[in-house]
Amino acid sequence: MRRTALLVPLAVAGLLLSACGGDDDTTTPTDTGGSGSGATDLGLISDGQLTVCSDIPYEPFEFEDADAPSGYSGFDIDLVQAIADNLELEVVVSVTGFDALSSGTALEADSCDMAASAMTITEERKANITFADAYYDSLQSLLVPEDSDVASIDDLGGKKVGVQSSTTGQIYAEENAPEDTEIVEFPGDTEMYAALQAGSVDALLQDLPVNLVHVEDGGFTIAEEYQTDEQYGFALKKEGKEALVGAINEQLQALRDDGTYDEIYGMYFTGE
Amino acid sequence: MRRSTRQRLVRLGFYALFVAVVVLVAVSADWERLQRSFFRLDIAGEQFPDIVVIAAKNTVVYTAIAFVGGLVFGLVFAVMKLSPIAPYRWLATVYIEVFRGLPALLTIFAIAFILPIALGVRVPGGAVGAGVLGLVLVAGAYMAETIRAGIQAVPKGQVEAARSLGMSPSRTMVSIVLPQAFRLIIPPLTNEFVLLIKDTSLLYIAGTSVTTKELTTFARGEASTSSNATPLLVAGVLYLLITVPLTRLVAWLERRQARAR
Repeated sequence: MRRTALLVPLAVAGLLLSACGGDDDTTTPTDTGGSGSGATDLGLISDGQLTVCSDIPYEPFEFEDADAPSGYSGFDIDLVQAIADNLELEVVVSVTGFDALSSGTALEADSCDMAASAMTITEERKANITFADAYYDSLQSLLVPEDSDVASIDDLGGKKVGVQSSTTGQIYAEENAPEDTEIVEFPGDTEMYAALQAGSVDALLQDLPVNLVHVEDGGFTIAEEYQTDEQYGFALKKEGKEALVGAINEQLQALRDDGTYDEIYGMYFTGE
Repeated sequence: MRRSTRQRLVRLGFYALFVAVVVLVAVSADWERLQRSFFRLDIAGEQFPDIVVIAAKNTVVYTAIAFVGGLVFGLVFAVMKLSPIAPYRWLATVYIEVFRGLPALLTIFAIAFILPIALGVRVPGGAVGAGVLGLVLVAGAYMAETIRAGIQAVPKGQVEAARSLGMSPSRTMVSIVLPQAFRLIIPPLTNEFVLLIKDTSLLYIAGTSVTTKELTTFARGEASTSSNATPLLVAGVLYLLITVPLTRLVAWLERRQARAR
């Protein structure tokens, strides 16, 4: 369902772009004759393919979807798909653990051209990997059982809150929860949610869209939402991907301008 | 050519081959990229002292608890497996087969999450307690088989002699059989200890906090924060600093014992 809903606006967007993209930029889809040469210009690890590393599943940012062209859907993947469509590239998804992505190892080793895995842009990370322009403002939230007496982050004193290691949620919890809060780190949402169900932790602090998936399951509710000044970005190798970073940024802007970004955003986050 | 000369030449050839391979690897490796991704001294420096006083310390503590616990479980189930009473044997067989057959990661996951959801049972010590109990169960299953093999390797004459001296079966087991069995199984038990050190890296699945992280979890977090794999390499070196002296010590003990025999 989601997929068909997406394909139409994407096709329209593609047409619009090719119709109005008559400038002399090599990365616009009007440049159909040179998709091969365009690909080499971008420094891709295999011609004509945009190889994307992602730690899957992390619904709704990335998850398996047999109906999608790459075999995966989600906010990150659909954005990448739209970018790749405009660049006339085929998306190949390589499922990779978050460690290998956020440490930059998979990128340095040329396992993939870029990482699209709900990764927070931080100054520390910028020292060793390149981020394309931010594509998502991180909204955090606190998930608690429906009968919980935790109504805000200030009630967490003396309680345990589950976070995912090395994420915005962890940073936010460390900076804003009361001193005596015990912050328990988990490798992923699967374990965090199991821990909350098991009562091993009293609340989960992580991406709002991910928590919303759990609210739909029932029994849990969002106690609080947080605006952070953190953003997510696609990550690329520090050196040698300058052309691709430029192309991605250009396409991100184009997708924002023509409304495709809002379409994809609405599909996953605002339930439209 | 004399045979000894030829042998010497062949050996020289093998030395040359070895050197050639080492040189080839050293020359063809992209040292600059390697250094940039894995050997950043500034990032390595930032890991200290936490990686030692928190992470490595926790690794050793968890391993020690899991080993001692595993030894107790192993001993009990080994004796049960050799028991003349059938239900005891069955129970031991089921325990050993289940926890030797399940991946340690799944066992830890089960103790940490499935047990409290299903039965409301909560292991003391929180996530770490649950994780270490999972390791104890796994180690116990392996050690039970090792100890059983050790017990069975003690010559039958020893038992017969003890029994004919008037020792009870349990006294025979405790003061005649087990001491000799343990001497036989020191090498496989060392192996188990080293495996356990590395298995503590699976505790992350149960959840960790700042003070309960072991080496791998600590290094993964730091690698992610700094976007560089150097912390993982530092952790690797620390693992070797723990395991190698230990295995050398046991090898030395073994040699000494062999002489004493």
